[in-house]
Amino acid sequence: MTYRSASLVAYVAFFVLLMVLPFFLNSFWTNRMATYLVYSICALGIAMSWGYAGILSLGQGLFFGMGAYMLAMSLTLADPGNNPVPELMLLNMEPDAVRDLCCVTTGSFLWIPFRWVTVGILAGIVVPCILAALIGYVMFKRRTTGVYVSIITLAFALIGQLLIINNQPLTGGFNGLASLAALEIAGFEFDPYGPSVYYLVMFTLLVVMLLARYLLSGRVGQVLKAIREDEARARYLGYDVENYKLFIFCVSAGVAGLAGMLFTVTSEFAAPSLMATSFSISMVIWAATGGRASLLGACIGALIVNFIGSLASESATFQPVWPIILGALFVFVVLVMPNGIAGLFKDFFDRRSASANDGHAVPATAEGS
Amino acid sequence: METFVIGLSIGSILFMVALGLAIIYGTMKVINLAHGEMVMIGAYTTVLATKHLGFNLYLCIPLAFLVTAAFGYVIERTVVQRLYGRLLDTLLATWGIALILQQLIRIHFGLALFGIHIDGLGSDLQNVPVPSELQQAFHFLGANIPVYRAFIFVMALVLGAVSWWLIFKTRFGSQLRAVSVARNTAAACGINDKRVNTLAFAYGSGLAGIAGVLVSGFKTVSPDMGTPYVVDAFLVVVAGGVGHLMGTLLSAGILGEVQSFVATWLNDVYGRTVLFTVVILILLFKPQGLFVTKSR
Repeated sequence: MTYRSASLVAYVAFFVLLMVLPFFLNSFWTNRMATYLVYSICALGIAMSWGYAGILSLGQGLFFGMGAYMLAMSLTLADPGNNPVPELMLLNMEPDAVRDLCCVTTGSFLWIPFRWVTVGILAGIVVPCILAALIGYVMFKRRTTGVYVSIITLAFALIGQLLIINNQPLTGGFNGLASLAALEIAGFEFDPYGPSVYYLVMFTLLVVMLLARYLLSGRVGQVLKAIREDEARARYLGYDVENYKLFIFCVSAGVAGLAGMLFTVTSEFAAPSLMATSFSISMVIWAATGGRASLLGACIGALIVNFIGSLASESATFQPVWPIILGALFVFVVLVMPNGIAGLFKDFFDRRSASANDGHAVPATAEGS
Repeated sequence: METFVIGLSIGSILFMVALGLAIIYGTMKVINLAHGEMVMIGAYTTVLATKHLGFNLYLCIPLAFLVTAAFGYVIERTVVQRLYGRLLDTLLATWGIALILQQLIRIHFGLALFGIHIDGLGSDLQNVPVPSELQQAFHFLGANIPVYRAFIFVMALVLGAVSWWLIFKTRFGSQLRAVSVARNTAAACGINDKRVNTLAFAYGSGLAGIAGVLVSGFKTVSPDMGTPYVVDAFLVVVAGGVGHLMGTLLSAGILGEVQSFVATWLNDVYGRTVLFTVVILILLFKPQGLFVTKSR
């Protein structure tokens, strides 16, 4: 079996497994697994920008959080207890303010479009994209690269988190938005603890994965890899490096926003902690564990790390040790297997084909599967 | 004037943390995200030494330097040394180390699992007694200045001077500069570049440890106290220009003042927001930092 067909088998097996999984899980674990699949989508976004284009964003949590907040605003308003004005605004309003969304607290009019869930869903992808486009435009046009990109995105995520915490009357502050209605599309209500949400997340993952494969296996993916390897050379070959980077950065942000929205659906809250530095770095670690340059690997990495994490937090003995194991895992992955689980998989096939060819040149297998 | 002094002390702490980071980043191009944990360990050394050994704050300064330098030494030897030239990977690995160190403090170095608890460790907040002479305040130019803030400022200047002397006037310093400019050439000339790196890492960590002692005097000590420092300090380093001692000093001062003035004028959150914005603007328009070292 060649590497190509083996990875195809891996993809199919992964999704078939995910398809049948809910039949063996109780409602609690269905919900947990749905959340981990959300994290997988997130890791997928990171693999796209980091693995392919070499842009390591440490502010992915900002886009994730924005997505989560956009949908959470709509779902807050969909809750009958929050009409005509969300409870959090009533708690923070001036005593004589008009009880209407237009003017109950400063800036509350921004919530008005979110009365329509469709707007919330669209905004969950579009707003992170626009934000990423703005950040990316300034960064890449000024030819900021490498670690400076990481630091700038990190700083932006910190600003976002601070602003959300600080604008309590508008955003719910530190506690975030927690009294949400269930997501309802065309009269069908998604139950966070039932298979409906699980399959919603799973099919989103499938669609995102297919689109990403389609996008990155073509010309765009090759150019991005060229940029990752040698930016100056790609530029001299006539490629518009800045626009390619901007594009993949925005796509990655949009994917993160999408994941954020689904997080709101599975976990029924949105909070500033989603934008915390530690959470953004965790996402990078999931992708690194699974294999930064592999879309499927990144997904599996997110699932494995979170699954083990939740097992550990169930047991009283392992719960206090888990962060240490996690920290050691980061060090281990970086030191021993920089290409993650997917890298091991690929090495295995490379070695096999090398021995099959008996010392002949190893055929270059397509990277990033 | 009070605001200015507060800004000066914020800037001094930033400078001490950033100085260590600047030496580490400047010499070996390693992003040490565990640097904040060195501040934390310095602070916990103070907590433990004052509680169990009866040390006062002054004695804790050399002690914390040695303890954190030892931590830095071990980290460099075991992990960082294997990652030269892989900038983004050092970032991830040191973040892992940071997680480990934080959790070790929370679970009393693992002793909590066996039911042993050490007073001063764990996830609760800790406080450190400050010598009475540092708790006073004096008048200067019509403003009321706490002695402690002045003490921090003086310590920062002293450490800055010591580091300057170490880097520019000693044999070790010239080796350090040689390694940071051209590692291979330096190694070919007989400099043990690995040893220089390890010592630089240990010295940088030690500086953060001293900053930790001083921080513990006016802030509560907790296992996750270090994280904000490493982010801020890294911003200071890149804003000031990598490998430029004076740049680090000035940018720490400027950023400390910016944060302090905006915080007084609006509030703390905006203080930090403006701080980050200023750094982002600096990075975007002067990617080399405010002060560029003329080197190859």
